[in-house]
Amino acid sequence: MPLGDFTPLLARPARAGRADGTATASRRRRQTGGLSAERLSPFVLIAPAVLVIVLFRLWPLLLGVNFSFTGDGERNGAAVGLDNYAELFADPLFLGALRNVGWLVLLLPVAVAIPGTLATFIYLRVPGHRFYRSVYFFPAVLSPVIVGSIFNLLLSFDGPVNSLLEVVGLGPVDWLGDSDVALFTVLGVHIWATFGMALVVFLSGFATLDPALLDAARSDGATLPQVIRHVIIPGLSRTIQFVFVTTMIGMLTSMFGLIYVMTSGGPGGSTYLPEYYIWIQQGQMNRPAFASAASTVLFLVMLVVGLAQVSFLRRTGKED
Amino acid sequence: MRGARISRWLIAVPMALLALATIYPLVFTGNAAMKTRRDYILDRFAFADTLRWDNIATAWTTAGTARYFANSVIVVAGAVAMLLLLGSMAGFALSHLRFRGSRALFLGCLAALFVPFQVIMVPLVRTMADTGLVDTYPGLILAYTAQYLPFTIYLMASYYSAIPTEITDAARIDGNTTYGVYRRIMLPMGRPALLSVGVLNALFCWNDVLIALLMMPSAEHRTLMVGVTSLRGQYSADIPTFASGVLIAAVPVLAVYLFFQRRIADAVTAGSTKG
Repeated sequence: MPLGDFTPLLARPARAGRADGTATASRRRRQTGGLSAERLSPFVLIAPAVLVIVLFRLWPLLLGVNFSFTGDGERNGAAVGLDNYAELFADPLFLGALRNVGWLVLLLPVAVAIPGTLATFIYLRVPGHRFYRSVYFFPAVLSPVIVGSIFNLLLSFDGPVNSLLEVVGLGPVDWLGDSDVALFTVLGVHIWATFGMALVVFLSGFATLDPALLDAARSDGATLPQVIRHVIIPGLSRTIQFVFVTTMIGMLTSMFGLIYVMTSGGPGGSTYLPEYYIWIQQGQMNRPAFASAASTVLFLVMLVVGLAQVSFLRRTGKED
Repeated sequence: MRGARISRWLIAVPMALLALATIYPLVFTGNAAMKTRRDYILDRFAFADTLRWDNIATAWTTAGTARYFANSVIVVAGAVAMLLLLGSMAGFALSHLRFRGSRALFLGCLAALFVPFQVIMVPLVRTMADTGLVDTYPGLILAYTAQYLPFTIYLMASYYSAIPTEITDAARIDGNTTYGVYRRIMLPMGRPALLSVGVLNALFCWNDVLIALLMMPSAEHRTLMVGVTSLRGQYSADIPTFASGVLIAAVPVLAVYLFFQRRIADAVTAGSTKG
């Protein structure tokens, strides 16, 4: 945990009496002069940040959970118990959104393996590795709106990708209009746009790997797959764990822009994800309390998926 | 040895193709923006014969991208300034000052890092509406500040914790108050971290669409990303103008990336490798 870095600092005893007599005296005079101002200074420095975080991040979380047990419209503000949740789990659109989350979880290893493999090659100094590193990272800084707009052009039914496919004799694919294909198209574009991010995380993990281990494995005649299996994966277990969790969070919380631009949840609701569902209920249907119930479910889903991943990866890590 | 070299080249080929697939979509868009509508319909792939700026001009003026661009600049500048100020103050306090509850505050800050925006967006918008902040610049600036502050504090605190206490002690002996230490030591010494965090936050805010969509409902307050999504409906038959709008939104990001590539990657990976 990153927390470990801070513990010693926060617990470090104040250093007193290091200065010589005169300096201490002048300091004391100064301190008694502005004693309260100086004593309060840590709080003054931290108060604005705390205020913003509490007011606009932590308080809404509590408010939202509370909100999800009240009604919308005519029943505005009235306590309705679990009605919103009951309605949520009866809504085929929301269930579809949860099923799509299931698909994302299943395809997560692919989304992690791609940057992991590429990072391995870059680490092993494939010709042109510096160039690849910066090129691959580039889409990660583009907005989902820009990425989605570009791929809208490329993937439209009469668009360039289909005309390329036609050249090699493959039938046109309705990338965004076929309800069996659209989710995977959007996910593919998301992976295209974000694999560079995971790639640099992997590379910074590689930087902590002991090169002597690699050299030893190589001189023992290990093949590349053996090196990956026995040196790289165990050595990077923490990085891999981090990438798994952040990639999952990314899939659940940063695909809104792509869905909004590319499919608007369609066709037939087949590309709904919980975040898009929440936005529709809040922004389009004006049902904030109901949307809060969906938010609470999303939070729980993320918590469960995150914890399950960490414990699963811990266990497999130990078996090695 | 020879075999190893050949296999390295075998790997390099698909990697080069992937690099092409990474760059080409943006090249395609830039190329489309330079074509006439007729040229685009006749052949999408052929490179434009001349640099034609008419579409860019149409997107900038007629389509209203200029207004959206200005809105984005205002909001991003405001949010980044707030984030750097509050983030460096809190980061300094959490890493160098001892006070009651500092640990609890740091933990609270970390917890806020794991609350995704989707989970709080409904009540947040309601709070903003109650205080009259919806559809105002300060409202969106505050929303961005709240969204990216925990991450900013975390990075600033971890950067500042590497500054030895000998330096701050010496400054105090020279007669500086805590505020003096912040202003004369922490701000100047923190410049590299402030730059990285500032660039990263600018990208986050510039690229956001969900928060802007919720907080700025009126057309005149649209940010550039929201504006681009509205262009799509308006210019669905005029791809070159639409592509121009996309290009206008992408070029500042491209420029920032070319300048600050290394810093962005470093800031993104900070904290990921620490045990």
